[in-house]
Amino acid sequence: MTHLTLTDISKQFAQTTVVQDFNLDVKSGEFVSFLGPSGCGKTTTLRMIAGFETPTTGRVMLGDVDITDKAPNQRNIGMVFQAYALFPNMTVAQNIGFGMQINKESKSAIKQRVDEMLTMIHLEQKGNSYPSQLSGGQQQRVALARALANRPKVLLLDEPLSALDAKIRVSLRAEIRAIQKKLGITAIYVTHDQEEALSISDRIVVMFEGKIEQVGTPFEIYNFPQTAFVASFVGTLNTTDAEIFNLSKKLIKIDGVQLETAEDLGGRKKGDKIKIAIRPERLNFASVEKKANVFDCTIENITFLGSVVRVQVKVGSNRFNMDTFNNPFLELPKIGAKEQITCSREAVLILNS
Amino acid sequence: MTVINSIERGAPPARPASPKFSWAWLGLTPFFIFSLLFLLYPASILGVRSFQDTKTHAFTIKYIVQLLHDPYLLGAYGISIKISIITALGGGLFGFLLAYSAIRGGLPSFMRSSLMTFCGVASNFAGVPLAFAFIALLSPSGELTRILIKLGFNPYFHGFTLYTFWGLSLVYMYFQFPLMVLIIAPAIDGLRREWLEAAENLGASSFQYWRYVAFPILLPAILGTMILLFGNSFGAFATAQALTGGQINLVTIVIGSQLRGDVLGDPGVGYALALGMVFIMAIAIVIRTILQRQTERWLR
Amino acid sequence: MRRGNVVWSWFWMILGILYFFLPLLATFLFSLRAKLGVLSFTAYVNIFSDPNFIYNFSYSVLWALLTIIAGILILVPTAYLIRLRLPQFRTPVEFITLLPFVIPVIVYVFSLVRTFSQPPLLIVDSPVLLIAAYTVLSMPYMYSAVDTGLRAIDVRTLTEASQSLGAGWGTILFRVILPNIRAAILSGAFLSFAIVIGELILAEYLVKPAFAPYMNYMMQQKAYEPAAMAIVSFALTWACMGIIQFVGRGQQGQIAAGH
Repeated sequence: MTHLTLTDISKQFAQTTVVQDFNLDVKSGEFVSFLGPSGCGKTTTLRMIAGFETPTTGRVMLGDVDITDKAPNQRNIGMVFQAYALFPNMTVAQNIGFGMQINKESKSAIKQRVDEMLTMIHLEQKGNSYPSQLSGGQQQRVALARALANRPKVLLLDEPLSALDAKIRVSLRAEIRAIQKKLGITAIYVTHDQEEALSISDRIVVMFEGKIEQVGTPFEIYNFPQTAFVASFVGTLNTTDAEIFNLSKKLIKIDGVQLETAEDLGGRKKGDKIKIAIRPERLNFASVEKKANVFDCTIENITFLGSVVRVQVKVGSNRFNMDTFNNPFLELPKIGAKEQITCSREAVLILNS
Repeated sequence: MTVINSIERGAPPARPASPKFSWAWLGLTPFFIFSLLFLLYPASILGVRSFQDTKTHAFTIKYIVQLLHDPYLLGAYGISIKISIITALGGGLFGFLLAYSAIRGGLPSFMRSSLMTFCGVASNFAGVPLAFAFIALLSPSGELTRILIKLGFNPYFHGFTLYTFWGLSLVYMYFQFPLMVLIIAPAIDGLRREWLEAAENLGASSFQYWRYVAFPILLPAILGTMILLFGNSFGAFATAQALTGGQINLVTIVIGSQLRGDVLGDPGVGYALALGMVFIMAIAIVIRTILQRQTERWLR
Repeated sequence: MRRGNVVWSWFWMILGILYFFLPLLATFLFSLRAKLGVLSFTAYVNIFSDPNFIYNFSYSVLWALLTIIAGILILVPTAYLIRLRLPQFRTPVEFITLLPFVIPVIVYVFSLVRTFSQPPLLIVDSPVLLIAAYTVLSMPYMYSAVDTGLRAIDVRTLTEASQSLGAGWGTILFRVILPNIRAAILSGAFLSFAIVIGELILAEYLVKPAFAPYMNYMMQQKAYEPAAMAIVSFALTWACMGIIQFVGRGQQGQIAAGH
């Protein structure tokens, strides 16, 4: 299948710029997520790919065909809507076969494909049911099948799971990913749920206020966030202000506590104020393991989250969250106790903005 | 007011009550007392007197029999039904197109609220003022007729008269299509944008969207409202009376003359005629209710 | 819908506008012809100096307002209770509200006169009967409008939230529910207003002052004055609608007596 290129896409509504400087090259068969908070422009960008909005500037290329000005019913791009948008007056089978019916394909070809789709989404018995008779998860699967039955070149999904229960969301997203992989179809997935994006994407585009903050694999986005927004939006994060103490040894000071970082401090000088971040799971008790950085803290709170235990500690005037795996045999310190905690050099991230 | 006080005293259950004798039934008594007194009881008189000889008050079915055999009376039904169907279809279709144009047709948004206001006001113009307005427009000395004559074309020389069946139909449309617009508007609102986008996304043209998605979904609502229009026209009296002075024999006009006690009239016949009307309307309402349940399912 | 369809939309709209306005225009023009050969407002002067006209029209407006209030007072609690607690009553109540459609007004009037001309229900001469009859006539529209409005808001959650904050039923109905279905009630009020003003038979046979019978009577006497009357009533009705709409601003998408 083909690849998708967005060049210098921007969108303006009246006086507001909703999307700007959007550039992306999606490889064939890739699963890309647009991740960001409400209003960041991810759905608008998706709709520009689908043709429901026209970009103010920029081009959308599908393969080597410029589709920017093409009507939405001529792009052969499938879309799964947040509200399913199944036609209530048609059965499941009729919904799925609708695209092919429009394309004037033969009844037998339609029937064969519809049966294929029903098997793929595990709803073989529901062909003659109406959408109102199905659960939310089932309706969404039908919506997916309907979009795919038409053999689109690209599959777009606009927060397809946000209207569903948490458990169904988890199982359905895995199903969607499995189907996408099996068919090898290029897919763009819009979501505000970072866990969802991390778990199923090949690459993630993090967006904020209409601009791309970072593009990368889930691993890259999570472990090497390039901006403060990405770092705080994806996963939990401890952030604080710091001062450069020793440039050559890469030492920084937060509130009197000295930390060594592995990051490049290039361009800065001693005394510069910077913003740093440490992931909660990169901190641990020094009694369990010792890394390059060791410092004192006071235990403020301990929250049991199931598989993870979140320990809130005070370091100087900063509050940090420390996540450790639940170990029933490890005795946790009492609240108010003073402990030593540790983290590696690489765990201390410098934020750009 | 006593009723409301007694409701306030009770502690309302937090979950909706299952059908049992809860205090909520009391809340419905104003409605039931009102309808009983001012609607049901007087209406039952209708049924009673259709079977009661006007003079002797004895039970009789002679009026019903007369109804089913008298060509004049049956003809009245025919005319009423004919005009009702025509104006329901015509007014319904035109009203629907108008409503759709204003709501989803890509027109500036003030057109919708203007249209709704016009329609609300246009219904005001049923009856006497409406008849008068059309007389002012299209009577032999009407404004439009004058203009057309000046342009060299006299409709009255070509067989047109306002005071006929077709003239009346034209006038009836004036209150039929605003009614359609007002009632079908929420149904059109119920057509979700995503359905249009999903259809387009799957390759459908505007026409195909219409044919396979929008129209089938709206059809029960359109048909149901057309039946409402049918009933509206069927029971209309004042407009026809004011326009034609009772010349066109609609069932309502005939009933009017019967009940007024005209020399040749007999109230018993009037009541029987009315009973026949009720019967026809009841069938229409039942069909409409079925259609309405369907509409609700799809356009929730 | 895409660009090509806008042409059709304009076509229907313009046709509709023409059909709406031509009769009104004609009536207006006609009303200006009272003085021979000259367009003047003579007819208007005549009717406004006619005490009977003012008398009759004001009464019609009064009857209309009272009818609307009566309709709201009776139907809103009813529709509310049915939606909230008593869904099993929905069909019989809806049936009753649709009866006025089914029974021709001319027959209804006669049965009313017959019922209420004898003791103990001797109220045939009272305006109460007129208002009650008007309310019955407007019931299908008002109930349908209120029901549509209630359907669009989450009645159960609003009620439970109000109850948890300590509200009694009066408060819930009139300070929580009613404001939220304002637009729907307005459209029901529109139609009720229209029905009462245009209604001929009831007022005539119950011998009460009203606009339509007076205009009907004047149509026999004069030529141009009825035209002026029609225009005045139309303009005043429009003004009332405008006021009602202004008061009820802020609720989109619910403006229709939907069934």
